[in-house]
Amino acid sequence: MEGTALAVCEILRYLIIHWKCETAGLPKGALLEGELVISTEALNSEHQANALHCVTTIASAGSHCDGFVLKNFLKEIQSILPGLSAKLMWTLEETSSSPNTSGVSPFQMIFEVDEKPRTLMTDCLAIKNFLHKITMVHPKIRFHFSVKVNGTLSEEIFGAENEPILNQPNGIALVVNYQRYVSRPKFGVTELLCGRIHPVPGQPVTLSIPDDVAAVGLLGELILTPAAALCPCPKAFSNQMNRISSVSVFLYGPSGLPLILPSREQPTTVFADISCFIDWKKYHLCVVPNLDSNLDRDWVLPDVSYRVESCDGDQSQIIDPQGHTLLLFLFVDFHSGFPVQQMELWGVYALLTTHLNAILLESHRVVQDSVRIAVDQALEQHHQVAKAHQKLQASHAVAVNSIMSVVVGSTNSTFRKMCLQAFQAADTREFGTKLHKAFNEITQHRFLHCLGGVKQLPPEKHDVAQNTEDACESCSPEHLPGEVFALRVSPGLSWGGVQVKTVTSAFHCPTAFFHSSVPLGFSGFLVPLWAFWDSSRHPSQKLL
Amino acid sequence: MAFAPMGPEASFFKVLDQHRAFLLADLRRVGEETPRGGTRPASSTEVLAAIENIIQDIIASLARNEAPAFTIDNRSSWENIKFEDSVGLQMVSQCTTRKIKSDSPKSVQNFALILKILSMVYKLVQSNTYATKRDIYYTDIQLFGNQTVVDNIINDISCMLKVPRRSLHILSTSKGLIAGNLSYIEEDGTRVNCTGCSTAVAVPSNIQGLGNLITDAKFLLIVEKDATFQRLLDDNFCSKISPCIMVTGKGVPDLNTRLLVKKLWDLFHIPVFTLVDADPHGIEIMCIYKYGSLSMSFEAHNLTVPAIRWLGLLPSDIKRLNIPKNTLIPLTKRDQMKLDSILKRPYITCQPFWRKEMEVMADSKMKAEIQALTFISSDYLSKVYLPNKLKFGGWI
Repeated sequence: MEGTALAVCEILRYLIIHWKCETAGLPKGALLEGELVISTEALNSEHQANALHCVTTIASAGSHCDGFVLKNFLKEIQSILPGLSAKLMWTLEETSSSPNTSGVSPFQMIFEVDEKPRTLMTDCLAIKNFLHKITMVHPKIRFHFSVKVNGTLSEEIFGAENEPILNQPNGIALVVNYQRYVSRPKFGVTELLCGRIHPVPGQPVTLSIPDDVAAVGLLGELILTPAAALCPCPKAFSNQMNRISSVSVFLYGPSGLPLILPSREQPTTVFADISCFIDWKKYHLCVVPNLDSNLDRDWVLPDVSYRVESCDGDQSQIIDPQGHTLLLFLFVDFHSGFPVQQMELWGVYALLTTHLNAILLESHRVVQDSVRIAVDQALEQHHQVAKAHQKLQASHAVAVNSIMSVVVGSTNSTFRKMCLQAFQAADTREFGTKLHKAFNEITQHRFLHCLGGVKQLPPEKHDVAQNTEDACESCSPEHLPGEVFALRVSPGLSWGGVQVKTVTSAFHCPTAFFHSSVPLGFSGFLVPLWAFWDSSRHPSQKLL
Repeated sequence: MAFAPMGPEASFFKVLDQHRAFLLADLRRVGEETPRGGTRPASSTEVLAAIENIIQDIIASLARNEAPAFTIDNRSSWENIKFEDSVGLQMVSQCTTRKIKSDSPKSVQNFALILKILSMVYKLVQSNTYATKRDIYYTDIQLFGNQTVVDNIINDISCMLKVPRRSLHILSTSKGLIAGNLSYIEEDGTRVNCTGCSTAVAVPSNIQGLGNLITDAKFLLIVEKDATFQRLLDDNFCSKISPCIMVTGKGVPDLNTRLLVKKLWDLFHIPVFTLVDADPHGIEIMCIYKYGSLSMSFEAHNLTVPAIRWLGLLPSDIKRLNIPKNTLIPLTKRDQMKLDSILKRPYITCQPFWRKEMEVMADSKMKAEIQALTFISSDYLSKVYLPNKLKFGGWI
């Protein structure tokens, strides 16, 4: 990752840690709320050939910024951005904040950097993925991200305020909308019958910090809480897909922030050999690292990704790519008995990232056990669902054969005629085919009825972990993504399948910053930049 | 029957004849009041049509994209049972039901098995062939899993279609035995004469097909256990107390044995007595013959003989006959539970003498097998106990 992305991600981390510390008195499980605007304006550089001069602004309104120590922050942020030839400016809108407003004041931060166009594009995608990851555990923080290149604007809004979430035992909320984690076109609407994942938490375990890591300043007691889920929900997937085709690992640090900043390199060598923590043979899976580092996706990219291959040694034969993805979330945090200061927390991220390998290996056995429990349970659900599906299929086959036996063997022409007419079948062979199909469809219909029925359920914002059957029974369309934003902006938009064109990209680079035509998922919608601004105020001030 | 062996003199049967007269009078009084219900024999055409209707309903449901389901009466639920003194236990008309759905993993297997057996019944009826429940199980043991599954589904189908199992062309395997003053012709024309003192005849598998039943028997004695039955055969009981008929179901009776007893009662109205162990299990077996079982309550009208009387071994006989205490067996916890369960059943309220006997057993906490009488003398049962009971009306 280059300058812009790294700077933006670190600044966002710092801000969110600051918010978290400022709201430490709130009950456990209370969600952070806030809005941040990240905008980058790029113009052809006057000083460098074939480069863009990028001015990035990060602004917030209505944030709890009292106690914000500018000097410390500037010092820290510059220490980690040595390679950034940036001009960092800070503006604290003291005049705009009323003394009576309880510590709420807007702020704005601007930095400039010259970058190659391709670098800027990569940085934007990296920022986008980082925002996705934050949104997954901080659904009520909304990010407005816009990029203007030589006058051409693209923008997105990131947030999951009205999406279903699940409160983990460690107090971290996790968005459970399946489309956050896998490609939407992969699973068509008619095929998918449950829009949620159902994370199974593992037992929190204490991580031992190796002496050499403690020596460099990482002190305290770390807790690792894993959670595993299959995506999409195996129970409600209507077709016969029951294989796992990929594994995605997400790493989160204290305050529920992404531990790893997006980059092309593997973040930590510990995951090069995933069998260190998960015995894949037990699940009859052959897992190899997925080296596809393409950031250009509409769903959140994992920190570490694996694909499942055929176990018979033929590596060219890849398991059906339409299979489930096993999601593994690893949350690393400090034990609540060891409160860490804000600045220390921010600094800890760098140490954690650098030494994560060593820390996890030091506590290899307990990590393995905890992860195994979560994965076992997640896959057990999958196994049970697969078993139930097989049972349905096998029994339906018996039912079809029995009915066929009577219909074919009957000498009652009226009866035979009525049976064939019911399915508009020309002959008994066609009748049999349609009969079989009809049995398959009634199983789907059972779940579709739950999705599109009259009963409208409110978003389950603070669900505790519940079993698959209950969760699937309460699925409803309004919990699927995109619709939230669609409803807000354009109530006439219907669920799913809405396409939005962003304002282009075409600035001297053949590749668009964002997809020119994307399903209404996380890509937001087109809103002119001026709409965010109060025309009566200075353009540098951000009001939301 | 002219060829019947010599038995006791006519005065021996005086009380029995009086009892029979009483039963006939009672029958005349009750016979017109009690509506026939439950299953009724159905023709092959009717059975085929019934199955086709079911299939058609299923197909119609599927065509509407609705999951078909069977609605089955809860045969084994006491809340669906009523008791009538003249019939015994029978299902209420508006009974609770359960749904066997085709789109639920929990019930889909059952749904499929019901269809499977329906299709097999269809074939049997169409081809006018018969099969036993065991045969059906063995057509695909992996699919069915165990015999009980098959048995239950067949009973459910019989209840659902309201036709007796026989009409489904499914036979139950007979295990009972008959001996004594009885002859009949089986469906295939075989003439059977049960009169032969030392041997017994197996209860036929097609009771409905029996014809030309002839007997002079003064009573029918139902014996719980095969061991006791054989002992009586060995002791020449049928000729000593001739004319009579003896039947055993070898424990819990199969359907054919019950059908035979019912048929003999319906045809000849001769007194029917039971000889069971003085234990809760024996009493329950006796209740099955007399009042029917929970699971077959939908066929009560075809199976029960409420006129049955309890001849022995009565718990009060134990004390009266000074049966040695070392021949008695303490009631187990299971026995106690069964006894309590029987005492709570609706039919016991109209059998005060039975209740009293059971209370004697409960108080003594002891049970006795019929074989305990052999401790008095080896042939006490056939030479003294039964003849005295029959001659002097020692039944309740």
